[in-house]
This record gives sequence, C-alpha cells and structure tokens, in this order.
Amino acid sequence: MVITRKTKQDKKSLEIDYKSLSDKRKLDNNPILNFEPNEQLKLLRYGVRKFAEDVLLPVAPIVDRDATFNWETARHLAKINAWGIEVPEKYGGAQLDSISHAITIEELSRVCASTGLSVSAHNSLGVYPILRWGTDEQKERYLPALASGKMIAGFSMTEPNAGSDVKKINCLARQVGKGFLLNGSKIFVTNGGIASILIVISRYKTENGKKGMTAFILDNTMDGYEIGKLEDKMGMRGSSTTSIYFNDLFISQENVLGLISDGFKIAMNTLDVGRIGIAAQALGIARAAYEHSVEYSKRRIQFDKPIANFQGISFKLAEMATKIETARLLVYKAAHMRNQGRDISKEAAMCKYYSSQIARDITQEAIQVHGGYGYMKDLPLERYYRDAKACEIYEGTTEIMKMIISQQILRGNV
Amino acid sequence: MVNIFVLIKQVPGTHNLEIDKKNGALIREGIETMINPDDLYALELGLKLKERYGGNTTALTMGPSQAEFALRECLAMGVDEAIHVCDQIFAYSDTLQTTLVLKEVFDKIKNYDLIITGSQTSDSSTGQVPYQLSEALDIPLITDIFSIELKNGFVQCQRNFGHESQNIQVELPIILRVRKHFNKPRPLSLLGIKKAFEKGIKKFDFNSLNCPDSIDGCNKSPTRVVKTEKISLQRKNEIIKGTITEKIQKIIEIIQEHGIEKIWVGGAHE
Repeated sequence: MVITRKTKQDKKSLEIDYKSLSDKRKLDNNPILNFEPNEQLKLLRYGVRKFAEDVLLPVAPIVDRDATFNWETARHLAKINAWGIEVPEKYGGAQLDSISHAITIEELSRVCASTGLSVSAHNSLGVYPILRWGTDEQKERYLPALASGKMIAGFSMTEPNAGSDVKKINCLARQVGKGFLLNGSKIFVTNGGIASILIVISRYKTENGKKGMTAFILDNTMDGYEIGKLEDKMGMRGSSTTSIYFNDLFISQENVLGLISDGFKIAMNTLDVGRIGIAAQALGIARAAYEHSVEYSKRRIQFDKPIANFQGISFKLAEMATKIETARLLVYKAAHMRNQGRDISKEAAMCKYYSSQIARDITQEAIQVHGGYGYMKDLPLERYYRDAKACEIYEGTTEIMKMIISQQILRGNV
Repeated sequence: MVNIFVLIKQVPGTHNLEIDKKNGALIREGIETMINPDDLYALELGLKLKERYGGNTTALTMGPSQAEFALRECLAMGVDEAIHVCDQIFAYSDTLQTTLVLKEVFDKIKNYDLIITGSQTSDSSTGQVPYQLSEALDIPLITDIFSIELKNGFVQCQRNFGHESQNIQVELPIILRVRKHFNKPRPLSLLGIKKAFEKGIKKFDFNSLNCPDSIDGCNKSPTRVVKTEKISLQRKNEIIKGTITEKIQKIIEIIQEHGIEKIWVGGAHE
C-alpha cells in the first residue's frame, strides 16, 4: 500500500490507515494456531541446552558404562531448579507450565537420557501427585525438599504379575487402628535406589471390609521399607531401577495421598502426565541421533563425496526430520492441553506412542548412517538406541497406548 | 551499596558466518546469537560481588533490537536491571563511536561505581572499549585481576603483571576488564528464566541520551572494515620415503628447519 501525503484531509485518512494496519498486525501476531515458541521458551531451551552440554555431556557415557546415578549431577540440576519444574515458588520451585516442563526434559534427554528419565520421573510421577492431591501439610512437609533436590521422588505401581494389567496388583495395606500395615513387593521402580520418597499404588482393606486401590507417600526411612536389587538394564543405565519390598510397613493416615479410594484415579492421571515426559525424553534422544547423523553425513566422504549427497542417506535424514517435527507437535500439543486443564489421556498416549516409536526408528537409522562407527561404543549412537527402546516400554507399552487411544476414540473422543 | 554495571555484547553463536559478497560485511540476519563468551565472566564477577557486598547489578548493551534477548539472559543469570542502548544511528559504530555513546549513557546514569567488561568480543576481537571508556569517563581501568575486595569505597585487587603480582588499591569508580576463565559463570536456572521476563528493560536511544551530533555510527566511525574474507588453511603435504631410520632422520631435519634445536627421541623417563 503506497500512502502519499498531500492535504490535511489526506493526513486524517492516513491516520485511519495506520490504525487498521496496526489492527491487522495484531491479528497476524495472534493467529489461531501459533507454532512459534515465545522468547521465554526460546531462552529456556537455550539455557537448559547449554547446561546439559556443559554438565551432562561429560558424564553421560560414564553413568551409562558404570550403571550408576551421579549425585554430583543431581546437585548441579538442583541449581537450575530441575527438581522442581512445576513446584510453586513458595516451596522453592520454578512454577513453570507443562510446555516448559517438556522442553526441559527434552533438552536434558538430548544429552543424557538417563538423567532426563530421573528428572522426569521425579517431577511428573513423584512430585506431581503431591502437588495435585497432597494436603497442605503434605506439601509443606515434602515439596521444599523435593524442589531443592535434597529428596528425590519416585512412583511405583508395577509388580511381577501386574504390568500392563494394573488392576491385578497384589500389594495390600490392611487397616490396623489408625493406620495401615503394608505388605508386598514392587518391581522396576524408576529412581528406586535413590528415591527418598515413593508414591506407592496399593490395594487396601479397611477394618469394616471396604476394599479398593489407594496411593501412599512412603519414606525410605520407614521400618519395613527395603530396597531390592539394582536392575541391570539394556539402556537408561544411569537411572536407578530397583525392586522395593514392604514388610509390615506401618503407614499412618497422614501418608495417604488423596482420598483413600482414589488410588486408581491418581495412578491413571499421574501416568497421563508422566507420558508427556516420556515423549519429551524420546524426542530428545531422537534429536540427538538425528543431529549427529546430519553432521556426520556432511563430513563423511565416500566415493569422493559426502555421504549426505547420496539419496540413500539424504532420504533417511528427511524422514528423521519429518518424524521429529511430527512428534514435537504431538508432545507440545498434549502439554498445551494440560496447561489448559483438559483431559489429556488420548493426547498423552498419542505423543508417548509416536515419539517413542520414532525415537527407536531414528536411533536405529542413525547407527546405519554412521555404519561401523555407529556400532562402536566410541560414539554415543548405540547408547541412544538402547535408551530409546526403553521409552516404548515404560509408563505403558506402545500397545497399551494404542489401547487407550482406541478406547477413547470408540468412546466418542474422536 | 555498590552500583555495578556489566557491559555485554550479543554476538553470533557460530564462527561459520557467511560473508555478504556485495559489501564484504558478515551476514548476521537470521542466525543464532549468544552473549559474547568473555562477557559471561564479567557477569559472574558482578553477581558474585553483589552477593558479597550488596548493591545493584545492571547489564548494559548497545545493539540492535534483537540484543534484548541477550539482556534477558543476563536477567535470568540474576542481574537486577538491564539497559538496552539502541538506535538506528548507532548502527555500524566502531569501538570509538561505541565508547562515545557509552560515555553519554554513563553521564546520564551518573551513579556508577564499578563497570565490568570482558576481555574482548568473539566477533570483532578488538578489546578496545574498556580502555577507551576509561579515557572517556576519566576513571581508572584495572585489567587481569585474579582477586578483588571492596572496602569503604576502595577496591583492593591483585593483578597479574608478567611474572609478578601487583596489589592495587584504587578509589571507586573504576572499570574492570576481566580475563577469560577468571571464574565459572553460573548456569541459567528455570526460575531465573521465568523471572527474567517479569522484569522490564530500560531503553536509551539517540534522543533520550541527548547525544551530540558527533555521534553517528555509520558516517563518523574512524575505523572502517573494508572487507572481510575467510581464511583458508591448507596443510602442506610431503611424503617421506626410505627406511624407518631414514624417515626419522628426515623428520628430525624438518623439525630443526623450523627452529627447534633439541629433539628428545626414545626411552621413557630418561
């Protein structure tokens, strides 16, 4: 639009023009769909990435090799509030939203997936249920220590005979006077060996015969709380996974999370939230493998040209990029819906299923792009592959995700 | 209460900048940026001094509008305030023009005790601004310190001076130029990042600073970058033939040609 100023009248119409122009701009800046992260999210990604490359990069291969959790890393993570991403400021957390949470986990996992897992499990499976269902007294008691990383939290539901079929859990808490006596065992507990507190899903039976599922907040210092063997895993080796045994463990009323009969609801809802975290992890791992592949294929010369110039390799890169973009949209959409307080069962399952699957695909193809070098432990590619595989299994297998999605669709949530 | 100012610059986040073939300048549009790495040590020192002695820290930059992002990063690190000096007329300023603008800024601020800078920027590597600013404001400049204490309006610091160390006492205000790896800059915390966007950034431009006409970055900068070229390094190749002993002898000769006289060969821990 060309505006020439001639007379006073023209000047007036010119002002109107500017106003409508600025109105139009406002509309442009506030579209119905906005895929551009705001400045805060950009700085968050930049900051966490820099931290991860600085602190996690050197330890990632070591924690994987030795299968140990690195407490030094935990202290560094505490400095950037990574143990209290969503915890309110008054308890010492950063009080950020779900998208910031996902980006943080994604960037940590891009460099060290084990650390990403520990942080994700702590935040979304350990801290989140207390934030959502905890009493004020429980929040006062646990959140400051959890947000500052002095205590690490975990979540346990899986038992030897109750994996996908969660309703078959056997752990039983019998009401005794004013509390409960818990007996049973849990397996594959993420953060099991390092967690000071554990959210435990268990059956209960009251003195008057009422039964159901409940959630407890357990302290690892309680009598009858025993940590079992450290699992020797294929990937995610820097994250501690153990079994936990409960022998006549006495739980007082104040360690019951939410209403006594809320156990199943708490478990399902918590896992929904956790799935965004797992999807973000998978996305981070996939990105790491993809970025390595792009760099390497531009540098590696075979038949007198970079292998990226061969269609066989460049198509792999194109596929990787597209899959990552798709996964990212699913993850951020689920996080965005959670920000709005909507039901995220379907979206969380979708992003978890898709991200973990593409992470496995991409890490596998990345090894292929690197050829023999990719198969060697000198490069992190094989670690990415082992780590990515876990994302397809924990917090609900891909098959269970598809069950959840299809149930939602058939229920009318198309 | 010390009033600490840290001068920072936003620089390209990569060394592989493309060069505009028309005017020989670096193409800076649309590339990732970061805070000049050397400035992070200055920021960390500013924050440490504030923690130790109280006071106020301000990050200050002169640059295009996108430099606001670098200031947000400073705020996320924990500085209290940020000042953005930005005007079209300041564009293409060389170090002298930059200094003259900074002088106007500090003349307006008046209340400054300690101005901290990094050693040089990664994109132009001149390292001149702290020296020039010291002249312009007529306050002392201390470089290469390795310890610092503030006492009753004085700074006591130890400074590297060749093979010696100097103990210096100087009255505030001063400029400090901090060398690389002087400290370990803190990472950005998630809470810090959130808080950084709750704070405002103070803006100064040509008019609000009442700049004299002598300030015109594009036309009055005495230094002009005529052309920027990429340096291409090529290794010299030479294939040495013969038996192992002959090869070693030849290698030793080549090294000696380059002025290295004594070469130690063989036997561990002699």
